[in-house]
Parts: sequence; C-alpha cells; structure tokens
Amino acid sequence: MERVVVQIDADATLPFWRGAQVFRFASVAYAIGAQVVSVNAEVPVGSGVPAYSHPLISWLLIALLVIWSGVSGLVYAFELLPRPPMVITELVITVLLIASTMWVVRPEYYHHHQSLPSTFWVTNAVVSVALLWGPIAGGVTGVGLSLLSLGVEEQFHNVVTDATTPILLTVGVTLGIGARIVTRAQQELSAAVRMQAATKERERLAREVHDGALQVLALMRRRGADLDGDAAELGRLAGEQEQALRTLISRQAAMPGIDETTELRSRLQAVLPADVAFSGPADAIHLPDAMVTELVAVVVTILDNVARHAGDGARAFVLLEDLGDEVVLTVRDDGVGIPDGRLGEAEAEGRMGVSKSIRGRMADIGGEALLDTGPDIGTEWELHVPRGDGQDGARD
Amino acid sequence: MGPVTDDATTIMVVDDHPMWRDGVSRDLESAGFQVVATADSVAAAATRAQATQPQVVLMDMQLPDGNGADATARVLEVAPQANVLVLSASSERDDVLQAVKAGACGYLVKSASATELLDAVNATAQGQAVFTPGLAGLVLGEYRRMASEPTPVGAEPTPSLTPRELEVLRLVAKGLSAKQIGRRLDVSHRTVENHVQATLRKLQLSNRIELTRYAIEHELD
Repeated sequence: MERVVVQIDADATLPFWRGAQVFRFASVAYAIGAQVVSVNAEVPVGSGVPAYSHPLISWLLIALLVIWSGVSGLVYAFELLPRPPMVITELVITVLLIASTMWVVRPEYYHHHQSLPSTFWVTNAVVSVALLWGPIAGGVTGVGLSLLSLGVEEQFHNVVTDATTPILLTVGVTLGIGARIVTRAQQELSAAVRMQAATKERERLAREVHDGALQVLALMRRRGADLDGDAAELGRLAGEQEQALRTLISRQAAMPGIDETTELRSRLQAVLPADVAFSGPADAIHLPDAMVTELVAVVVTILDNVARHAGDGARAFVLLEDLGDEVVLTVRDDGVGIPDGRLGEAEAEGRMGVSKSIRGRMADIGGEALLDTGPDIGTEWELHVPRGDGQDGARD
Repeated sequence: MGPVTDDATTIMVVDDHPMWRDGVSRDLESAGFQVVATADSVAAAATRAQATQPQVVLMDMQLPDGNGADATARVLEVAPQANVLVLSASSERDDVLQAVKAGACGYLVKSASATELLDAVNATAQGQAVFTPGLAGLVLGEYRRMASEPTPVGAEPTPSLTPRELEVLRLVAKGLSAKQIGRRLDVSHRTVENHVQATLRKLQLSNRIELTRYAIEHELD
C-alpha cells in the first residue's frame, strides 16, 4: 500500500516562534549587561548619589525577567502550553517591568536613560503578539509599549526623534504580515493536498469498479445475450447497470471546466442508451455550455423518435466529428425510414413536427440540421454547429 | 461450433480479470478455437506470445503493469505474425487509438455479444480489420487531428485519406456494413474492405515512421 505522509494543518508559524526565542536569549543577555552597568552608577557621575533607589529589588526584577524569558522561550519553541494566555502574561509582565523603573530607579537617572527592561527586551512581547494575532495587533503593541516606555522616561517630547517607536512598530507589522502569509499559504497547501488525495481516491475507486464490477456485468450481459427468457432479461439488466456505472465513473473523472465550455463527447456518452453505438475522435471537444446542452437534447429527441418509429430491431448510431471550423453530429438508424411526405404532413397538420423542432433548435444555436431518409436507408440526421464564434452565433 | 482440430486458430487471451479471461477462453474453445495461452500482464503477454506464437491475441486495455497499447507493441515485437484484437470498455478511447497505431488490427467493446466476438476473432484470424463504428470514428478523428497539425519542415508528410477513403470511413463510423456501403457507393464490399484496410495501414505505417524518426533523433537505436 502506498502511503503518503503530508503534514497538513501543522503550525506554519512554528519556525518563526523558534527564531524569536533565539532573539529572546540575546535580549536577556543584553538586559543583564545593562543592569550590571547601571546598578552601581551615580547621578550625576562622581556625585556619590546612586542611580538606583532599590538596587536589591531591581536585581529581583531582573531575576523575574530571566526566569520568565526561560519559561516562555521553552513554551513557545516547543508548544508546551496554549499560546494566547502565555502572550497575555508576557504583555502584563513587560508592562509591569517597564513601570517598575519608576520605583527602583531615581528619576534623575531614568529620565535620561532606558527603562529597566530595555527597549531591546521589550521587543519580545511585540514579536509574540504579532506572530499570534497578526500585523495590526503587533503594530499596536509596538507603539503602545514604546509610548509607555517614553512616558516612564518622561521623554515624550522626543517621540519623533527617538527610534523606539518606529522600530517596534515595524517589528510588529512585518512579523505579523509574515506570520499571516505563511499561515495562509499553509492553509492553501493543506486544501490542495486534501483535494489531491480525494481525487486520487476517486480514481482508485474508478479503477476498482472498472476491474471488478464492470467486468462481471459486461460478462453477464454478453452471456445473457445468447440465452433466452429470464437469463436474457438478467443479462440485459446487467448491461444497463454496466452502462450506468461507466457513465458514473466517466462523469466523476471529468474535471469541471474553468471557462464557460463543456466537453461534448462525455456529456453525450453519459446520456446515450446502452444499445446506441457511439463513435467519435479520441480528443475532447469543447463547446459553449448552452450549445452542448441543446445539442445533447436534440440527439435525445432524435433517439426517442428512433425508438418510437424506426421499428423493431432498428439500431441507432451516433457519430461525432470535429472538422475544425464546425462540429458534426450524425444520428442514424437502420430502421424503416420516414416515408416521403410524412414530415411535411405532420407540419401541415400544425403539429409540432419532429423536423420543425429539431431544425428550429439547431438554428437557435447557430447551426443547422440536415435530414436524409428513405424506406431502405433508415433515417439520418446530420447536425452541424459552427466552432469558435459559436456563442455569437447562439445570440443572433 | 466445431471441435478443436490441428489447424484450429491459436489464440492468446490477455486480461487481468480471471473471471473474464476464463469466460472468454471457454467461449472460444467451445467454438473450435485453440486458446494456447492466457496472460494477466504486459510482461506475461510478451513472454507467452514469444513462446506460443498465437495467430490471434485478444487484448484488454487495462493491465496492472501497463496499458494495452504497450502490450500490443511488445507482443508484435516477439510475435510479428500475430493479429491483435483489442477488447475495451468505451471509456478508454485514447488507449484504443494508441493500440491500433501500435499495430492492433481490430477493436471490439467488451459488451459485444459472444457471436460478435467470435465473428471478430474469425475475421482477425484472417488478417481482416475488425472495424466497428467506434474504431472508424477514432481513426477518422486521428486523420483529422494529424491534418490540422502543421508538419515540421523536412519531416515526412503526414498520411491523409483519399476522398473515397474518407467517404468509406465516415459510413463505417455511422454504422453501415461493408455490404451496405458497397450498395450505396456502387462498388463491391471487397473494395470497401480494401479501402478500410488501407486507412489503418497508413496510420500504422506513419506511426512506425514517427517512432523511427524519434529513435534516430534521440539516438535510441
């Protein structure tokens, strides 16, 4: 058994999440470095006044930052927990850490420096939101955290010259767009893979039916044809089922047209009774939908007529020809033929004569119907339809 | 239905469906033919055709290791005097055309009656083309397709039908028998059959030329 393993519906953004955790690791290292440098600083330099009002608490906060980064990094990279609550928690922690600057650091220092968890580390929250909720949420988070950070530092007047806002906005929007694109691509790929699998399965079923049931039905029909009575009837029924199954399979295999055309041959073969001999070219013949529908209807009308009037044992033949600039359908029977004058009589009586109906319907689709009949040659209708500008012909 | 004699026509039945294969073989044997081999794949058909050199090969179109066209070509390679009669379901039209171009000389639908099958096998054994309306329609379509395609510069001209051959082929495709066609065109039914054979031979010849040219161009000798 052939087995194809395709990861459909897998999380397409997972590679992004993993990449983001590498960045998180680097940003944690930077945050620790910044803490080590700043915690013993003095404002102004050489004044002996420490920059931090609560250095111990600031260390605890940095420890929280490190632990949280480790936990969230693992959770995101290995999908250990659902992401939405993690991302919300991350946002809350980030906001609190930015705000904590005002508590642990003296205003003289933080007014001119970065907030405690630096811009660099704050970016992680923006990345997570963008990957999870897309470009708009990502952009809004980026701008929001940037403004909060500037507000804490009382640097609002620098919002235009400070790089924080544009950087965080860009990160949020671009990563959000990237995540959306790969997610959509993944969905489309999954849909395509599913459709392909369904088509494969249909083809396999068609082969199975062809190799099994159809062969048996064909055999029953063949053997039944040589017998009498009930056996012959069974054979005939088997033949009808064989034809119905074949039709079903061929219809199923036909792909819907991408334009407004339909394949004439398969449509025609689908409606032909089992005892009508069909011949035609190997290549498909595409005509406008309306034209195919009308042509098939006309052929069915003629065949009904054959069944009614051609006499017992009359056989019917359908020939389909593609002449390039026109398509010709010939419906012939080897029955008794229509005696001279009969068609005219029918028309004279004002009835909806066969001839009138068939000719009129062919004229409607821009074609014509030619009749050849006689007592010893049966009846032969030749239906001609123009090719190419057929739709224009159907309209005039 | 005569008994099997020494000069009975030898037949190989190629079909992967055992029930069909046995049923047809039984019918053929009770009608006096000698089924010398059966095969259920392209590979088996080639091996057994070489070993038994049957006069007639009944060929299914769908085989587990290839299609009937491949099988026809392989069989005729090792048993050139064999006459291949394709038995097919109507849905495999393109394959049937390929098999005919590969050298099969007849085509019958699987739903044909036992009598039709025996008649077809008899005709095939005598080297006559078994031209159902369906096959005539395919051949007609193929000539028209070839005519509509431009011939590459310097290539052999594609074969075409004479007006009379076209007329005959159309009538066959419309279901007329050779006798009926002869009456209509005021010629003997033999003449009609010769026209039909000619259309098939030209098609097979052009296919061989095409294959040879392909082989030379791609140095596949």
